[in-house]
Amino acid sequence: MTARRLAGFRAWVWQRATAVYIGLFLVYLLGRLAVAPFGSAEALRAWLGSTPLWVAFGLFALALLLHAWIGVRDVILDYVKPPALRLALLAAVALFLLANGLWLAGILMEVK
Amino acid sequence: MEFRVWRFDPERDREPRMETHHVEVTRGMMLRDALLEIKARDESFTFRHSCGEGVCGSDAVNVNGRNRLACITPVAELKAPVVVRPLPGRPVIRDLVVDMSQFYGQYEAVEPWLKRREPEPEQEILQSPAERARLDGLWECILCGCCSTSCPSFWWNPEKFLGPQALLSAWRFLADSRDQAEEERLDALDGPYRLFRCHTIMNCVEACPKHLNPTRAIGHIRDRMLKKSV
Repeated sequence: MTARRLAGFRAWVWQRATAVYIGLFLVYLLGRLAVAPFGSAEALRAWLGSTPLWVAFGLFALALLLHAWIGVRDVILDYVKPPALRLALLAAVALFLLANGLWLAGILMEVK
Repeated sequence: MEFRVWRFDPERDREPRMETHHVEVTRGMMLRDALLEIKARDESFTFRHSCGEGVCGSDAVNVNGRNRLACITPVAELKAPVVVRPLPGRPVIRDLVVDMSQFYGQYEAVEPWLKRREPEPEQEILQSPAERARLDGLWECILCGCCSTSCPSFWWNPEKFLGPQALLSAWRFLADSRDQAEEERLDALDGPYRLFRCHTIMNCVEACPKHLNPTRAIGHIRDRMLKKSV
């Protein structure tokens, strides 16, 4: 998906769609923790290793990254006018999110 | 009652200053009357005004931090000292007179007129009462600029973000059963800036002297875009 395609209406739709998914997943996660807290790292690893949860958590991570990108980009578009500074900040945010994405992907690969 | 009015003449002054006046408040006095009283004492004091009854939208000013029409703002409702400034975010021409060119440019950008694909009929295009009712809360805009100049998104990106007034007008034509340019209008509103800089801050709703709701109109445009895309 190009940056151009993720602007305006599309970005707005994605931001809302990801917000709904993040909200639902967090409600489920908090409910799960309240009902049956994980006693150990192994228990957490086993929970995350089940295929439906692995997929659901992967989607959660993707939704979180996309939501964060659109939100932070909006703030930068609002406040930062100089093109060079704007580009630098957008690149820094993209790199930060990419690093987080790789870290989360690593965790998911490790538990599966 | 104490009034502090913003004074600035770019041809003479280096910096703007606040000037204090004491005006005797009479029964039913509007802010415009108080400003006229100040002008009677110093004719160099400049502000726009015309109809005096909230129809022409000329005398929008910032009063005690809020954008209002001076002619329909009762002085008795204001807290002293009454601080009167020009509309925020617009270049000042002189005293309370600001340059509204960019604001009008954004209004023009939404092409606020009916567009037809079919040939123009011989007589008027009829609407049902329900179709006509959909325009209520939209057509009443008097272009005073209170909404757009109170919108932080318009302060930040006035050249790219259309602002609440223009977007209310855009929805006024999208909602009109006689208009036949829906797709063209929606395409023109897409992109990161024109509509989607609105963050639902809702200063526009609070500021509108005609009690219109640009935020709701913007929501309707987004809903229409969503409906068209699925």
